[in-house]
Amino acid sequence: MTAPKPAPAKAPLPEPVLNRKNGILMADRRWPTDQWAHPWSLPGYRNGALMLAGIILGILGGGALIGELSKWGDKLYALMAAFATAKGISTVAVDAVWVAIKVLIVLHVILVNGLWSIWWERKISAHIQSRVGPTYAGGFHGWAQTICDGIKLFLKEDITPAAADHWVHALAPAIVIAPCIAAFAPVLFGTDLAAARLDVGTLYVFAFAGISVIGVVMAGWASGNKYSLLGGLRAAAQIVSYELPRGFSVVPVIMFAGSLDLSVIADAQSGYWWGVAPRWFVFYPVVGQVAFLIFLIASIAETNRTPFDIPEAESELVGGFHTEYSGMKWSVFFLAEYAYVLLASFLLATFFLGGGGSPLPWAPFTLVPSWIWMLSKAMFMMFVFLWVRWTLPRLRVDQLMDFNWKFLLPWSFANIAVAGLYLAFWLK
Amino acid sequence: MIGYFSKVYKVAAALVTGHLITLKYMLKPSITIHYPTEKLTPYERFRGALTFDAATCISCSMCVKACPSNCIALENAVSEAGKKVAKVAWYSIDFGKCNFCRLCEESCPTKPKSVWHSLDYEVVFASRDEMVRCWKKDFPFIGKYFDRRTQDFKDPEGQVCIHEVPPRRS
Amino acid sequence: MTSEAATAAIPALRSDQLFVNLGPQHPSTHGVLRVGLTIEGEVIVKAVPDIGYLHRGTEKLAEARGYHHCVVLTDRWDYVASMPNNLVFCLAAEKLLGVKATPRADALRVMMCELNRIASHLLFVGTYGIDIGAFTPFLYAFREREMILDLFEMVCGARLTYNYIRLGGVMVDVTPEWTAKLKEFLEYFKPKIDEYDQLLSYNPIFMARTQGVGLITAAEAVSWSLSGPNLRGSGVVYDARKADPYCGYENYDFDVVVGKEGSCWDRYFCRVTEMRQSVRIVEQVLAKLPEGPVMAAGVAKIPKPAPGEAYAHVEAARGDLGVHLVSDGGVSPFRMHVRAPSFLNLAILQEKLVGMKISDVIALLGSTDIVLGEVDR
Repeated sequence: MTAPKPAPAKAPLPEPVLNRKNGILMADRRWPTDQWAHPWSLPGYRNGALMLAGIILGILGGGALIGELSKWGDKLYALMAAFATAKGISTVAVDAVWVAIKVLIVLHVILVNGLWSIWWERKISAHIQSRVGPTYAGGFHGWAQTICDGIKLFLKEDITPAAADHWVHALAPAIVIAPCIAAFAPVLFGTDLAAARLDVGTLYVFAFAGISVIGVVMAGWASGNKYSLLGGLRAAAQIVSYELPRGFSVVPVIMFAGSLDLSVIADAQSGYWWGVAPRWFVFYPVVGQVAFLIFLIASIAETNRTPFDIPEAESELVGGFHTEYSGMKWSVFFLAEYAYVLLASFLLATFFLGGGGSPLPWAPFTLVPSWIWMLSKAMFMMFVFLWVRWTLPRLRVDQLMDFNWKFLLPWSFANIAVAGLYLAFWLK
Repeated sequence: MIGYFSKVYKVAAALVTGHLITLKYMLKPSITIHYPTEKLTPYERFRGALTFDAATCISCSMCVKACPSNCIALENAVSEAGKKVAKVAWYSIDFGKCNFCRLCEESCPTKPKSVWHSLDYEVVFASRDEMVRCWKKDFPFIGKYFDRRTQDFKDPEGQVCIHEVPPRRS
Repeated sequence: MTSEAATAAIPALRSDQLFVNLGPQHPSTHGVLRVGLTIEGEVIVKAVPDIGYLHRGTEKLAEARGYHHCVVLTDRWDYVASMPNNLVFCLAAEKLLGVKATPRADALRVMMCELNRIASHLLFVGTYGIDIGAFTPFLYAFREREMILDLFEMVCGARLTYNYIRLGGVMVDVTPEWTAKLKEFLEYFKPKIDEYDQLLSYNPIFMARTQGVGLITAAEAVSWSLSGPNLRGSGVVYDARKADPYCGYENYDFDVVVGKEGSCWDRYFCRVTEMRQSVRIVEQVLAKLPEGPVMAAGVAKIPKPAPGEAYAHVEAARGDLGVHLVSDGGVSPFRMHVRAPSFLNLAILQEKLVGMKISDVIALLGSTDIVLGEVDR
């Protein structure tokens, strides 16, 4: 900080008032060429690597915590049942309380996931784009950014446009989020760790996940905005279409596992070929990979994310169906979007990546609890979702439909046929 | 059939290449700076906010003529005898009109320059009044502005941090 | 029942046309352009571009300003690439004044204009990526553009409105440190163009969105008076740098890039390839940068050209930019007219947009690469 050069005058100028003392002046411009030459010499880079390691450990620790707590579940239930019989209360009440507890836990998974994955998406997208993303809120790598945003969204005025259909406008976010929460019921968080064990778990998840589109269409229609209307209609066409390949791509998995129960599907992937390679469905030659990719692509389309984000299509439709939403209503849409990403990640991990199974059959890996493996796989799949989103451009509506009906659907049918051949000649 | 599969392969390969590029940059250090805490020092020739030095000014009005947007105004000082002297009575720059074009600085005949572009790029104004900076005999280095509501000269506050960057003056 | 009978049996569907305002505040109108779209479903029935939101009356303002002052005004036409704006005005005024720029000034002018063309095309590549939905190439393009702006800041002190090219030469000479920085940038930049190709140009989704969309045939392009990459994308070989060389462009070896069918992708790829050509030109200028002064002698502080007219045109980043100056012997031009390429490139939209889908509108609008500062002036 140098003071201005005093003028060569008899009367020296008064010292300038120092107004802003924050901030340091950079010595010179750091061009990318300088930045990338020695990355480890930069403190920010080292901190970032540290943060990444911390995040991974945090995920594992969080997974371990949830898993360990789940062990107490049976004891807690037994305690409650004993208490009920002692007091002469009906067991139905005990079950109701027990279900309520489980619902609350799953609900919090969704809420915490919203906090976590929005921050994660910001950081990932920022680093993909050579930026740093949020850094200030919370002090360390902007960890509290989503919390601050959440508070902001709570305090924001809830605007309903004058042209809007008030009831439908208010109801739409609820219809988007409610099936999303319900769909989490049979989702596996580890081996045999789910809120509810359903025989038809796969169908149940797909059925509920498909309902949300009604909310999106309602939002588009009720907003009284032409862009929103276009977005809502696009969403209807897209999500309904992509349900098909998404469902059909899982059919080989169901055929191999012989059940619609998510736990059975996960358990069917235990064991190792030649004692090394895990028997995950994604490693079944050709069929596994094709099914995995189709499911991944269709899941991305289901969650309205780039390259299939035509219902939102910022550069075309401004914001699509949620243009006219603000405050909490708007954030509910986003909560639902990220919850669906999490749902798809867990489903991918369950269907194709062996659920809670260890990737290698040796001691340090097999000792790791199943919920940690499950969460790691789901988080990896979530990263893939973000990675795809921040790399690819957007498809056009008709190309989207072409891609679905002329590519994904035939390939998923062919995949089922080949899976049948496998069952007939190889796996039996 | 082979054509179809090779097309599918090519498309997939192209998509994967794009993903690898984004992954590559994700693992490289980011290139942005954190603006309020880290500030770039402009290069030496940077044309920031204009600064004026009444001590060296000879009141020749060259800058007034050179300015394409009429943002500079000055008045000659008058000696006690009523004659014009080569000093300014007051000098004002309207930053609302300034083009940052360097023509005034180039036209200034004094050495060192009496009006020149500082390296200050954080010129923010809270009101239109603040945009017109005035220099008089005892006014500070960054000038004062005339507040029309209170009808007096005030120091601009909170927006000029000219002190933080080394001035360029030749 | 035949299909015709079936259709006749259904009562006619009541469908309605929607009027949608695309702009002036819209994420992808690149400024304050408003396009009134009448749509049926997602198909455009009628499109009316509405301009004038950024009109600042530069041509009129020039009539009340001296010739040196007018250079400052030119910065504001095409604010993304203002070096060619400075240059074209100076060329026209120099014709009026009978002044010739020095060889070193000419070389520097060429270098700056080509660097600015790279910067402008980088901005296009980035924003076009956003229009198509890819956000990441935007930041990559800006990362490189920032380096060019740094170079401009080093040499002339401004990052956007340069006022660098003056009557009779350029403002200041470049320093050896600057040349070293420029070489560093060129070495860094060349492989980056290949990366844009891999990330965006040859991305199958991007190609599907832009190839075969917004076709403009060569005849249409000529008859609508398109210029620049929009014209060359349609396969017409016209480049003012080759057709009517100025500032010694005839001494440099470069190719005129043309597209095949005139689709959005062709126009886009023309620009990407032009960046390579610009790098070639800059390297050649650097190799044979003549010594000498950068400002010609004999340019008055207040120039008063003899009565007469002059027209000069250059190949700006967006097309054939021309300035027509009329002098009545006074200190300021009697009349200045700007042939702004963006304005003429925009005109074809109203015909071409009809029948497209909304997504394609964005693709076509983006590919014409208009700058509203230049359209409205």
